[in-house]
Amino acid sequence: MHKNLAEKYRIKKYIDIVGQEKAVLDVKNFLKEFPKKKGLIIYGPAGTGKTSLALAATLENDYDVLELNASDLRNRAKLEEVLKPATLQKSLFKKGKILLMDEVDGVTGSDIGGVPELIRILETTKHPIIMTCNDVWQTKLSSLRQKCKLVEMKALPIPYVIEILKKVAAKENIKRDENFFHKISIKSQGDIRAALNDLQSYHLVDSVVDMNEKRDVEDNIFNILKRIFKERQDFLTIFDTTKMSLDEILLWIEENIPKEYKNEALAKAYHALGKADVFRGRIYRNQHWRFLVYQNIFQSAGISYAKNSPGTGFTKYEPPKRILRIWLNNQKMEKKKTISKKYAKFVHCSIKRVMRDFNTLRPILKKPSVQKQLDLSEDEIAFLNK
Amino acid sequence: MGQSDIWTERYRPTKFEEVVGQQEIIKRVRSLVQAMNIPHFLFSGPAGIGKSTLALIIVKELFGDAWRENYLELNASDERGIDVVRQKVKDFARTKALENVPFKVIFLDEADALTREAQQALRRTMENYTNTCRFILSCNYSSAIIDPIQSRCVVFRFKLLEKKDISEVAKRIADKESLKLSPDAFDTLYEASEGDCRRAINLLQATASVSPDINSEMINMIAASNKPAGIRIVLDYALAGDFVNARDRLLDVMLKESVSGTDVIKEIQREVWNMQIEPEVKVRLTEKTGEIEFRMTEGSDEFVQLQSLLASFVLAGQGKAT
Repeated sequence: MHKNLAEKYRIKKYIDIVGQEKAVLDVKNFLKEFPKKKGLIIYGPAGTGKTSLALAATLENDYDVLELNASDLRNRAKLEEVLKPATLQKSLFKKGKILLMDEVDGVTGSDIGGVPELIRILETTKHPIIMTCNDVWQTKLSSLRQKCKLVEMKALPIPYVIEILKKVAAKENIKRDENFFHKISIKSQGDIRAALNDLQSYHLVDSVVDMNEKRDVEDNIFNILKRIFKERQDFLTIFDTTKMSLDEILLWIEENIPKEYKNEALAKAYHALGKADVFRGRIYRNQHWRFLVYQNIFQSAGISYAKNSPGTGFTKYEPPKRILRIWLNNQKMEKKKTISKKYAKFVHCSIKRVMRDFNTLRPILKKPSVQKQLDLSEDEIAFLNK
Repeated sequence: MGQSDIWTERYRPTKFEEVVGQQEIIKRVRSLVQAMNIPHFLFSGPAGIGKSTLALIIVKELFGDAWRENYLELNASDERGIDVVRQKVKDFARTKALENVPFKVIFLDEADALTREAQQALRRTMENYTNTCRFILSCNYSSAIIDPIQSRCVVFRFKLLEKKDISEVAKRIADKESLKLSPDAFDTLYEASEGDCRRAINLLQATASVSPDINSEMINMIAASNKPAGIRIVLDYALAGDFVNARDRLLDVMLKESVSGTDVIKEIQREVWNMQIEPEVKVRLTEKTGEIEFRMTEGSDEFVQLQSLLASFVLAGQGKAT
């Protein structure tokens, strides 16, 4: 085996694509309707066949393909240099040309001009541009999103993965039992590339599949919460699979503990969260990042083992409300702050102190002569009279 | 005295002899000012006992009517970082004093709000401008000020005002404003003010805005308006086992009343002893409360920590200690 299996058996035709019929149809329509929309974004988790689908589209239509990896072209200058001439030239031998831009997640946001440049190219191109990415909903891609047709590819259901594995195994003359394929498929979590890589490696060393060694896949917050509250596994690596910061996850846990725990378990869970927060504070104060490991454990295993037996059933987790409420309140209290500022300067004391004593001061601040002396605005006076 | 309708300003002493309390300090400061040369000062003591007032009197004595041009007042807890403080000091100290006094005065209030690192930077600044500026620093606890700064200053420890001091201030104001205070009103005013003259005057004015006939009950009512009133309700929800509502209310109180976590914890600590639970549980809750307060001073997230405390109250409501 010289080539890795995932590359060797990359599908070439629409008909070989299994379990993604809707996506195939969408791509076909996009090319038919071009240039109604000039760009197409295929998005979904890794190893679901995004690049394969795009390549199949070019092969089926006998198009030339100009393949670009956005991660390699991290800035505007390079994008322009390589991509722009290509979008304007005609293909020499083939019917047409498709520009394939893999992993647009790697294009930088507004800072160096990656996304805006990509949009400008989209407006001038004579050829369809197909892009792939994992997460199309990130904010830096929002302007790009509006200009493009979106096609989603979902993680492949396990039976399809098994089917593909068996086909490849037959061609490669790999003979293993049903159980072996089954385990690899489950471990892959719908990632075909991962499954094929595993097939190759496990077959070579002739070992048993280690189910506990999970593939690294981007995990969303709901899965993480589920793993903490119900599944109780992989605590040491639980936060490695997400891009969300530990502090943000802490807020999610903070919000949702009461949904899972009552009484003693509730108290224990918040104690653990409190400990996690103590270490978080120490990291910030001392820049001592070694403490991260403690925050990590209190925030995962600490929460999980607050209860004797893990939770069961389905829980509808909710996003943290605290930050939003603080923000809304700050908007509402803006006037209070500006009044306090004017007053504090006048009476030689700190703004914080005035804010704290505001209720006592309110009758004094309501006097018109005081309001005049402090030069309060109409809005501020209205706030006081409310 | 000032012309303002804000009584803390109208009745703020402008001469040494008008100051109530702190007589020993006044005597020493006065002799220094009369020599037209002052060292750096460090005033330490709780809020509302005359630190800012004394600083203002000093500059008024030194510069007369031109005091505003020669005086910079900063509050360390409001300024964003030591860099802002330094920049303001720099801008102010660049020009020479106009009067026949060879320096200007900078008053840095709540200097203990600065971190130790920031104080080191401040010390350099003090040295750099020592020819053109005198610093008056104020703080609640002098122990929170680093030694090198303390050694550069003449340190004065202000004492809490006594009941007779607060009563005298109240009497003076009552005469001028034609107020009638019942005898027990003086006691209540002192208790509610906790020896803080600024608070006493504010309470007096707020009460007077209701009626010029002031009794103890009215003062208590006004004083209560500034206590985090909802805290008891928050704790009642927690004791009844309704954690979600308790924390909802808590966030409400903190946001609407601009109450800090430290204020909440003080209130909780007081409330614990009024609750209908076993003394043993009270002790455990107090222990937990102290731990939470310590964590806050250490820089933990106030709301996360308070939730942890509320969860303990949920258990206490069932007669269990944590």
